Formats: sequence, C-alpha cells, structure tokens
Amino acid sequence: MISFYEILRRTEEGPHIDEREFDLKVVASESRRLVREYDIRFNREEIVTSDDSLADDVFKAGFELALKAGFLTVDSRRVIKLSEEEIKEGLRTAPGELLVGQGADARLLYARKVEDSRYPVIMGGQAGAPIPEEFYYQMAISYMQEPIVDTINNGGLAEVKGIEVRTRSPAEALAAMAELRYLREAARAAGRPGIHLLAGESSVTCIGDLAAQGEEFLRRTDAHLVPVLNDLKTDYDRLTKAFTFKIYGGFNVALVDPVVGGFLGGPEGVAVGFIASYLLSRVIYMSDYYIIHPIHPKYVSTSTPETMWVLNIVGQAMARNSNFILMGDVWTSNGAGSREVFYEIVANTVTNVATGSHPLGVSATNGKYPHASGLETRFMGEVARAAVKLKRSDANEIVKEFLKKYHPERMDRPDVGKPFPELYDMKTITPKGWWLKMYEEARREVMDIGLKLE
Amino acid sequence: MVKGGVSEEQLCKVLYKAIIDGDDAASEKAALDLLGKGYKALDIIKSCMVPAMKVVGDMFARLEIFLPEVMMSADAFEACMKHLGPKILEEERREFIKGKVVIGTIQGDIHDLGKNIVALMLKANGFEVYDLGRDVPVDEFIKKAREVNADIIAVSALLSTSLPYIKDLVKLLNELGLRDRFKLMVGGGAVTREWARKVGVEGYGEDAEEAVRVALKLLGKK
Repeated sequence: MISFYEILRRTEEGPHIDEREFDLKVVASESRRLVREYDIRFNREEIVTSDDSLADDVFKAGFELALKAGFLTVDSRRVIKLSEEEIKEGLRTAPGELLVGQGADARLLYARKVEDSRYPVIMGGQAGAPIPEEFYYQMAISYMQEPIVDTINNGGLAEVKGIEVRTRSPAEALAAMAELRYLREAARAAGRPGIHLLAGESSVTCIGDLAAQGEEFLRRTDAHLVPVLNDLKTDYDRLTKAFTFKIYGGFNVALVDPVVGGFLGGPEGVAVGFIASYLLSRVIYMSDYYIIHPIHPKYVSTSTPETMWVLNIVGQAMARNSNFILMGDVWTSNGAGSREVFYEIVANTVTNVATGSHPLGVSATNGKYPHASGLETRFMGEVARAAVKLKRSDANEIVKEFLKKYHPERMDRPDVGKPFPELYDMKTITPKGWWLKMYEEARREVMDIGLKLE
Repeated sequence: MVKGGVSEEQLCKVLYKAIIDGDDAASEKAALDLLGKGYKALDIIKSCMVPAMKVVGDMFARLEIFLPEVMMSADAFEACMKHLGPKILEEERREFIKGKVVIGTIQGDIHDLGKNIVALMLKANGFEVYDLGRDVPVDEFIKKAREVNADIIAVSALLSTSLPYIKDLVKLLNELGLRDRFKLMVGGGAVTREWARKVGVEGYGEDAEEAVRVALKLLGKK
C-alpha cells in the first residue's frame, strides 16, 4: 500500500482541476457514461435484486470510475489519483475479518456474502444524532444492555456542560472526550467494558479524534469515522483523521453518503459512486470497514425504494467482488415511539442483511431528534437474525410488503415519536409499558408474514 | 409572446427546449434571434425561459433529472440573461424577479450539495440568487445582503456543530439593527422546524421544494 506521505504528496502535486469541472466533467459525466455503458437500471419492483450480473456490472463500473476520477482534495484543488495496480492492491489487502472490541466483548466483524446464513454483527445506536448531555449516558446504556447488540455507534453530544459544540472550537475536543467518558462508563454499567465503539461523533473535524485517542477514550480496538466528501472528494481535515488514527493503531471507517440526484445522478450512478469511493478510500484512508449510507434528496432516509435499492446493489457488488466489511445504515423517517419506525426497520434491515451488509442503527428521525432507544435496535437485531434465512427473492417480497406500510404517506408526514426520556424509565433504564407493547405488536406483525423472530 | 406568428412561437419553443436540455449555445442563439426580431427582453424571459426552468425544477423534484442537468439548465438561462438582462428596465425587473436571495452554507460546514440544489431551485423559480458557497463566515452573509439589497438571507447547515453559527448570525443582525431588513430562512440536515422557530428564524424548508414555497411566502408572493 502507498504511504501517507505519498498520499500527501499527491494532494500537492496531483493534477489541478477546478471543483466545478471535477463535479460536472469528471464525476457527473463519467458516472452517466458508465451507467449507460453497463446498462445499469434501478427497478423499484426489485429492491432486493437477484441479478448477480447487475451487481458485477456495478462493481466494474465503480472500479472504472475510481480509476478515472480519484479523490479531489478540496483544499488544494488537486486530485489524488490511483493506478489500477494500487486499487487492486487495496482490494487484495482488505481485511475480510477484524476482531473489534476487547475481552469477552470482542466481536469478529467479517465480510458478509450475499444470502450469508451467518448472523450479522449488530451495531447499535442512534448514529449521527446530536443527543442532549442530560440523558446521553442512560441512552447509551439502553443499547449496550441489549445482548443482541454487538457493537456501538451512538450519536454525539450537542452540548458539553451547557456549551454548544461548534465546529473548530475547543468544545469539539471537550465534547468528544466527554462523549467517550460517557460511553466507557455506560459500557461498564451495562457489564460490557470491552464493547467496540465507533465513536467520536461529537466532533466533525479532526479536533475531536485527536483529543480522544487513548485507553480511557477511543481505544485501539475502537473505530472512528472518516467521511468521503460528496462526491469523490476529501480534504486535509479528513486526511488528518485518517492518518493519525491509523498511526495510533485504531480502525478507520469510511463513511460514504452521497445524495441520490446529486452529481453522481440517480440510484444507478450513486451505486457506481459508492464502489469508487470504497476502492479509493481503502487506499487513501487505509479504511478497515465501510458504511453504506445513500441519502434520499427529499426524505433523507435509507428506507426509501431508491436508497434501499442502492444499499442492495452496493452490498451485493462488494460482497461478490471484494473482501470489504460493510455496515448498512438503517435511518428511518419515523421516530421511536411510533408504529411506523418498525416497518421502516424491517424493510431496511432485511435489505441490508440479505445483500451482504451488517445492519447499523437505528438512527430514527434520520438523526434529527433524540427520539431513539435500545428497544427498536433490539428489534432491528431480531429482524436481522431472521433475515439470514431468506433468499433474495423472498427478501424482496417482504421489503415491498413493509414498504407499503410507510411509503410515501408516512414519509411525507412522519411520526417523529418521542424523546428517549419518554420512552424509557430513566431510573431503571427499561422501556415504558406502552413502548414495549408497541414493540411486541410489531414483532407479531412480522411473524404473521412468515419472518421467524427468535 | 406579445407578438404572434408561427416562427416566433417555434423560436420560443426552441429556446424553451434548449434551456430544458441545458444547451447554453442553442439557448443563447434562440434568445438573440428573438431579440433580433424585435421582441422585448422581458417577454422572452417570461414566456419562454421561466416556464422552461419551472419544468426543470419539477423534473428534478420527481428525480427524472439530477443536479448536473439542473445546473446546465441554469447555465443556459444565465447565458441568455447576459444579453437580455441589460435590456430590462428596472421596473420590469422588479415585476419579473421574485426577490433577491443571498444563500450559503454556514461557517463550520463544508457540505454544499443541498444548498446548491436549493439555490438552483430558487433560480428556477424566478429569484435572483447570490451564492456565497460553503463555510461562509457570519459577517459575509450580512455584507453581501447589504451590498445587493437582498430580501432574504438563506442559510444551510448539515452539521449540528455548525448550528451555533446560525444563532450568531441572528444575534449579529439584531446587534446591527438589521434584523427587520432581511427575511431569514434556514434548512439542511441539522436544522429542524422547532429549532428555527426557537432561535427566531421565520423561514424553514425541509427540502428544496419547501424552500421555494417558503421564500415566496416570506415575500408575500405565490
């Protein structure tokens, strides 16, 4: 693999290009050409597709895009280009298995295959959400005390000791450190001191990551996010995150979250862009595992037909052609405390698990409100375990069945549910009766359609 | 069009189609041809160009076309405006332009895709848009809004850690005694309707379509 220093050199000496030209003449134009050339088509009737050749074509197109485009470094307007051999080396050396976490709480993260019958690793938490400090700790426990939850990716702190966390202020460092202290303490309280954390979400720049490297914060058995900027871009801040955390010895996780309808185009172009982003971030960020997070331009959620199709085809393309470990996000429009949040979870989770990803969530209300809890993540885990028995064609029928229950009406007017303290008893950290009853009803509804929950 | 005639109608259709197709050379040529035939610049804009951009906006909302196509249509529109703009009288301009919007992604946030979409949709719906880009310091919004005599300052934020800077903007506008001079609207992944109301921002758009509706409503226009 090429070194950090070589990557850095390319940010300074790579081909110079105007950002607009990169967006339009490289990303937009090439993704369209490749979608046409490989005849990649989104089919809303087949959200979980059984077409292996389509998945392979998406992979080939993505490889070509990676080679053609590279990552634009926004600060220098220079492109970090990789050769075919460098991309292939990234593919060859990708870890297909990672032992994450410590001691009895360690888990083996592995590259899932299509229709993989092994239980997926469940990553729980309201990823990406700003969570009030008043109940951050209790909410974290609500996830960690669920035996089905293997690893944690919770949101960040919106405030620390009453001070709002703002980009590039010292509050980012303080908040990231406070977040990790709460998570560590919650892990001990839940009896899982070694649980793997994908964390440091209180800080968006590298400030938090730099501040929170250490045994009492982010351990070497933990991970942090290194986002790819949309589309196919990076900057010095993201590279600082990637380089320093790698040297520290932790896991880099590439977050790729393009908007459907953006420069990459529709679901087809976005799928191609995902593959390119993964192949490039493997080498440029030295990523260990990867998050699939397509964004819907109207609803944001990963549970729309377009975004689930992307999750499906990207998962299959990577599972069939690489050893990359993928986490498929479960971001719902509806919030915990609503019935519809369960419907979104079923469709989204079944899609992820049948097509080569581990599920990550539930980020209810798309992470806008702290209306989330461990209970709906337990449900996600149960659905995920049941989904390992599904063929893709059966998964597709279930996805379509549940999609009808919330799309589009309950996405246009979502029920955002209730904040964590209204869902759980804050002293015992157990779900309130009405919320538990709603969960049990949702379980029955799932079993009625033939999905056998444990 | 004010003047009739098949060929002029056809020419308007050519311009209309060229804008939808994002063909700036063909758009420019068609607009110049219409000007050459004696048509008023404002009529060309209102009858051929604005309806075309409306179609573009609607197609994007239905995901039939994507951001690059919208950008190309906006470029074609701008290419025509280079010639037509100077020929519009100020009072005609006021009739045609729905309002002036200064837009940008707030300081501390480098995500601009959503903001770009909103900016293009505002343009498509007849607003004069001044896009300051991303990671824009609070005082830059105010400086530009004063310079162009804007009606609206529109601010986008994807990251929750950039929200405090929007509060800074509201505060600074108040301190400078300018809060009543500009309407404020916000949007983006980190912003909620409740938060906007709480910090004293009158306009909130959940998505680009709502942003246009809100901008029109803020200025009392349909």
